[in-house]
Amino acid sequence: MIRSIRRAAICTGLGLLVQLVAALDWTPFTFIASAVVGLPLILVGAVLFLRAVWKSLKSGGAA
Amino acid sequence: MALYSRRLLPLQLVVALVVGVVLVAMLVAGVRPLAGHAVGRVVLLVGLVALPVLLSVGNLSYGVSQSSSTRFCLSCHEMERFGRSLFVDNKQALAAVHYQDRLVPRESTCYTCHKDYALFGDVKAKLNGLRHVWAHYVTGVPAQIKLYEPYPNSNCLHCHDDSRRFVEKDVHRAISSQLYAGSVSCLSCHRIAHDMAKVDAHQFWQAR
Repeated sequence: MIRSIRRAAICTGLGLLVQLVAALDWTPFTFIASAVVGLPLILVGAVLFLRAVWKSLKSGGAA
Repeated sequence: MALYSRRLLPLQLVVALVVGVVLVAMLVAGVRPLAGHAVGRVVLLVGLVALPVLLSVGNLSYGVSQSSSTRFCLSCHEMERFGRSLFVDNKQALAAVHYQDRLVPRESTCYTCHKDYALFGDVKAKLNGLRHVWAHYVTGVPAQIKLYEPYPNSNCLHCHDDSRRFVEKDVHRAISSQLYAGSVSCLSCHRIAHDMAKVDAHQFWQAR
């Protein structure tokens, strides 16, 4: 579980980083990068995190 | 000359995103102790799911609003000449006179004239914007840039409809029904939308 959450957090962090760079200068390229790379990375991170927690709860362990 | 290139940094948004990145980095380091108990898992849920999703929604909605800005439209090099046409010295050129006389907001000049004012005008404009991006990056920019469909009178009439300057012109009154029906285009008299000849000749108007 720890490794999965860490992977999810890295995904989320990268997504936020892409969005941060885009927010510094909005151009068509950064807008597309933010929407097509940044947002999906964050959603993937969220799904990975929820899946890790779900799996852990199903198996009855906390960590 | 390049007034449209003024850029404002969305400070609150940037700060929020920096905080988000730092928080996520801290959570990566602290996963083991946090995942061990219920409160820690709630912190992880907020820090890795709720907050980033909220930040993304805020960031993207700001991005969408920025995509209406003059600077955004003119950031592609193929639009540069159209941007320069806002500054030409020609009182008959529609883009120039609207920009120079501040008939449209300078920060969203392109968008104000080139979006439809119907119910889904904004959506249509954004989808057309995506078509531009697709052309820019994938299919290639056509040799001659032109509108996807003829410029509708309704866009002009959205502002000029009941303006005194428009209403009091005899010529407008004489053909008003055709103008409203769209059977006669405003551009059939007001022929020059962007004066590219003057752009190429570098004939620009300078405020004194």
